Amino acid sequence: MGVAAAALDYDAELMLRVKDGDGVSFGLLLEKHRVPVIHFLYRLVQESAVAEELAQEVFLRVYRSRSSYEPTAKFTTWLFRIATHLGLNWLRDGKHERGLERLDYNSTDVPIHQISDRRASVEQQLVSDAKLAEVRLAIAALPEKQRAAVLMHKYEEMEYSQIARVLGCSESAVKSLLFRAYETLRARLAHMGR
Amino acid sequence: MNCPMEHRKPETLVAYAAGELDGETAASIERHLRVCPGCRLWVAEQAALWKTLDIWEAPAVSADFDRRLYRRVAGEVRLSWWERLTRTLRPMPLRQILPLAATACLLLIASFLVQQPDQLAPPHPGAGLVRADQVERTLDDLELLRQFGAGNQVEAPHADTM
Repeated sequence: MGVAAAALDYDAELMLRVKDGDGVSFGLLLEKHRVPVIHFLYRLVQESAVAEELAQEVFLRVYRSRSSYEPTAKFTTWLFRIATHLGLNWLRDGKHERGLERLDYNSTDVPIHQISDRRASVEQQLVSDAKLAEVRLAIAALPEKQRAAVLMHKYEEMEYSQIARVLGCSESAVKSLLFRAYETLRARLAHMGR
Repeated sequence: MNCPMEHRKPETLVAYAAGELDGETAASIERHLRVCPGCRLWVAEQAALWKTLDIWEAPAVSADFDRRLYRRVAGEVRLSWWERLTRTLRPMPLRQILPLAATACLLLIASFLVQQPDQLAPPHPGAGLVRADQVERTLDDLELLRQFGAGNQVEAPHADTM
């Protein structure tokens, strides 16, 4: 990405202002990217408290790197690169195994509206929880690069080129990763779509 | 039901199902779908998977997320140089730290040597005198031994006379 293209990236502009000591711009970046980063990390590590802790580290690293920041890539690419690196490192450390063992889906990780929706019957709630558990396990079972690619593509709606930069591979490699990942998910979750 | 997508990249179907293709490419895929039951089934299944994945919503972010972050950001300013250094090195694997440590040691040794140049300077003239003394002492010892040997030779005839 050249300097001209970087000029179009408003986030990069904000980050350059952060570099100049503008704290308000850091706040704007946080406001814009807080939720996507936390949600991405949540789906990657599947523990909301861990996801928030890792997201704190992501934004802290952004802040620490302000003095050396150069807009050589899109800001979100850089941001998700840090997030993916931290999330996958956490998974590689094996800490997730403890977490997956206690995935009971009745924890605080379940969206609040699902708990408070009094119209839904208990039976419907149980079916919904079971489906959710299957989706989570199916995604957790994907190889780490495929998992990260699916989460960025499906839930964060990122472009192939951006996912490729985040994962450090070619665009065609990302397409291939996604194709294989969706094939696996379709096979595993086919009964749910009928 | 064999998929004619062998003539093009099957990944295109993922992009089509996700609604990411431009009008012209999407139209060409739709033409293909009309004549290919295999691809029609694939796209239908992908659309169903898309809906299935939608059921997974992420929880709301904690209300105090920003406050916690800003507290940590404020703490950054108060870090000592040693904390900054250890924090920088902590995520580095040993294979990256070792060359750095070796370089640092070499620099330390080099700076030590630069500060003490006399250690590497040639020996001062006094050192030569010490060696001359040692040579002189050795020569004296040899002379003593020679005299001792000569004394033995003088005494030898006495032994013959016995």
